[in-house]
Amino acid sequence: MTDYFEVHERDGAARLAEVRLDSPVTTPALVTDADRADGAPEAGVARPVLSDAGTGWTTEPGVPEGDESRLTVLPARGFPAGTPEDVQDAFAPEYPTVEFPSAAVVSAGTVADHGTDAYVLSGAQGLVGHARAFVDAMIRVRETIPPDAGLYLPGVATPANVATVAYAGVDLVDADRAVVRGTQGRYLAVDGHQFLEDLDELPCACPACQQPREEFGREECARHNVNALAAALKTVRRRIRDGRLRDYVEGQARHEQWLTATFRRLDQQYGYLEERTPILRQAEITAATEDTIRRVEIQRFAERVTSRYRNRFDNPLVLVPCSARKPYTDSQSHGRYHDAIRWRAHKVSMTSPIGCVPQELELTYPAQHYDSVVTGRWSANETEFVASVLEQYLERNDYPRVVAHVPEDYRPVCERVEERLGTEFTYTVKDHPTTTDSLGNLAGELSGELKYGKRERQHNTVRAIADYQFGERAGDALFDDLTVRGSQPGLQAHDGDGEQLAVVVRPYGTLAFTLAGARHWVESDAPTTRVEIDDFVPHGSVLAPGIVDADESIRVGDEVVFEGPSAFAVGRAEMTGPEMADSTRGIAAQVRHVDERD
Amino acid sequence: MSQPSPEVYEQGKGMDAHNKVMREVRSRNDASYDPREPTRVWLDEDNTPDGFVDSLTIILNTGGCRWARAGGCTMCGYVAESVEGGSVAHEDLMTQVDACLEHERENADSPADQVKIYTSGSFLDEREVPAETRQAIAETFGDRDRMVVESLPDFVDRETIREFTEQGLRTDVAIGLETATDRVRRDCVNKYFEFSDFEDACAEASAVDGGATKAYLLMKPPFLSEGEAVEDMKRSARRCLAVEGCHTVSMNPCNVQNYTMVEDLYHDGGYRPPWLWSVADVLEDTADIDGIVVSDPVGHGSDRGPHNCGDCDDRVQRAIKDFDERQDPSVFEQVSCECERTWEAVVGRERSYSLPLAR
Repeated sequence: MTDYFEVHERDGAARLAEVRLDSPVTTPALVTDADRADGAPEAGVARPVLSDAGTGWTTEPGVPEGDESRLTVLPARGFPAGTPEDVQDAFAPEYPTVEFPSAAVVSAGTVADHGTDAYVLSGAQGLVGHARAFVDAMIRVRETIPPDAGLYLPGVATPANVATVAYAGVDLVDADRAVVRGTQGRYLAVDGHQFLEDLDELPCACPACQQPREEFGREECARHNVNALAAALKTVRRRIRDGRLRDYVEGQARHEQWLTATFRRLDQQYGYLEERTPILRQAEITAATEDTIRRVEIQRFAERVTSRYRNRFDNPLVLVPCSARKPYTDSQSHGRYHDAIRWRAHKVSMTSPIGCVPQELELTYPAQHYDSVVTGRWSANETEFVASVLEQYLERNDYPRVVAHVPEDYRPVCERVEERLGTEFTYTVKDHPTTTDSLGNLAGELSGELKYGKRERQHNTVRAIADYQFGERAGDALFDDLTVRGSQPGLQAHDGDGEQLAVVVRPYGTLAFTLAGARHWVESDAPTTRVEIDDFVPHGSVLAPGIVDADESIRVGDEVVFEGPSAFAVGRAEMTGPEMADSTRGIAAQVRHVDERD
Repeated sequence: MSQPSPEVYEQGKGMDAHNKVMREVRSRNDASYDPREPTRVWLDEDNTPDGFVDSLTIILNTGGCRWARAGGCTMCGYVAESVEGGSVAHEDLMTQVDACLEHERENADSPADQVKIYTSGSFLDEREVPAETRQAIAETFGDRDRMVVESLPDFVDRETIREFTEQGLRTDVAIGLETATDRVRRDCVNKYFEFSDFEDACAEASAVDGGATKAYLLMKPPFLSEGEAVEDMKRSARRCLAVEGCHTVSMNPCNVQNYTMVEDLYHDGGYRPPWLWSVADVLEDTADIDGIVVSDPVGHGSDRGPHNCGDCDDRVQRAIKDFDERQDPSVFEQVSCECERTWEAVVGRERSYSLPLAR
């Protein structure tokens, strides 16, 4: 049972949460001992809420006193890095059940659910600096302790590593290392550390640094380090709120090799991050590094386009370059392509780092939510990524022919795919895709083709989004008898009798069901994400304790159906399925429509 | 440990685990040693109840500690330096003693007042050192003033000690108590006896006229934070010197020895030997006790030995040696360094789940 910790926002494995003490603490947070001296470098900067009840190595642990003003670390034997597994097993702690906010000391080797509000990971000194060990430990610990429990990584946080550490799933850190490094004359910053004696000016605006350089000694250095750590955590919290921590980490982590290795290794642990990454966001993805390709959002889009989505048009395919403006349709260049194509071909945009975006999915997250760095110079990785997505796309979808209306720098991607598939594309661009000659070539290439109608276009769009969002063939299973009303982008899906089933949500390019749509979804062959709730009628927010069970496949942002003895409802998930099933606190989902059962 | 209880079961489990791990760690060592040569011999000086005297210090190679062969102490690598196959014959042990006397003749002007014999085990254990050999050694050094022999408390017997006192030797049994805290000795060091056994041994030794004990303490066994280690030593020194028959506490700061669990922890970033400031702090704090408290940090200034920042290690070591001789705590007022601030932060902040906070 987690009584004193609640997760409010999620951004990948990182969370914005609250330690629910008398005076609540918002995480990821800098915390310190409740009785830390007033003159300590972190006094007034770190939240004084920790209470250490002593080590089990020197005294027989008893049940400590605790209260709701602090988080009490229950007495245990900590296991330093390198403690042999046999020894850890033999001395594995047992914790009493207590009525006050508490934290259990665990190691990566002996971690278990102890029913506490938070967990202290011992042995972290052997993890920092070692990306593989750190990532392995984080995944093991995070997947073992309850999702709505806090994780405290003691003794290792620095301004440089704290963003990556939080990105991996840590909620609480202390100032111990920042202080100790300060006493050693190490001046810490988000871009690494300097020897204090080498600094002829202090590159910081914190209060500790506002004094003459010659009066700035190691004590002041410790204070600066703590300030820098606290500021770094503020950045982290802001980034999580905005859903943009990854964008920050991709850049900031580059100041230390092990941090870069850590987020890259986390990318290789795709399952861990994928489960925790929302399927939609309003925030923009800054595609400014090669590592963006490995992001869950990018990989997931490519994976769904090449395994769930299916082209329903009979027309030829026209490949066009992406545009800086999103959605692509709003750009001048795509306006011109459209004027040349005039619904006589299926438009798929080629883009790094997204891969291929069929015209029906131009609104769908993250197709209109990224901005990349365009130089006309593709790296080998970009070329290979886009080529492999296009290759898989063409293997799955049949077209009478492929017209590649792409500039010179896209040619190597197309040629690679042509070679692998043994097909030939028709190229229509001279100099630039928007020149009159190029557009004339494109229009001429499509001169004999028939136009598809608005109805076909709208039906295919609704079904394509359903495929992408719910699973392969979901578009057909859900919308066999379809009438579309409204106009792009706010398409409404109705059944043959005129009952509205769903609407395309403009900001995310996803479908949101009506109650009738939800019933239809449950009865259809399309994969359904269901939540079983207790005997109550949900309105607004559904809280985790009211949830009996939830599909493991539910991701934040997914459409979910709620079924319980008293209600049938539909809404959007704010937690993952495993979190809904295992959490005792927090908002699990928002209900959109509810139907009371008799 | 007579009543079966969950706690006893826990003790057994922990000890089994420590022993299993230590056997595995030690098995990585395949070196063997000549049974006719002592492990080490050197000349030094010691503070004794008779004053500051010259010592001949011998580490006899006896085949080593039987406890270590079962697994043994988490920090002790001396078994690795013992002879292969177990026991060493009387003739070989006497050859080792002759080699030590030869060393002394070559390097000292006159025979030392005090002879200290360690075995990395128990000199008084007859399976290590046969009674015949023990007798012969007592006679060999009968012309000296004082003998120190190392032993676990189990083997301390007034009749055995009398063999030495009858030669006119004041005789101290050096007992590797490590700490007065039973829980730390058992769970961190993996030693099987208790403080009450030490008290019994003190009573046994001091029952003989001229017999007494010295307690050997271990500063900072694995799993303790710097602050916990310092507190453990301050408390232990006081408790030991309060025991009748124990006149000296010798505190050894733990160092990282080959083929030990401590070495495994050290390699993985989970162990740092104690700061020399911690040694100084304990000596200063316990200077008021009636009795001798000394420390001879081995391997000071190296990563694997007790150390400070690297700049002040030699100066602090000199102060410690000076204190050993004069027992005057003001020697520590003469040394200071910027790293004291780091040490203070570490002592105040380090926990068993966050150690080590500094290298």
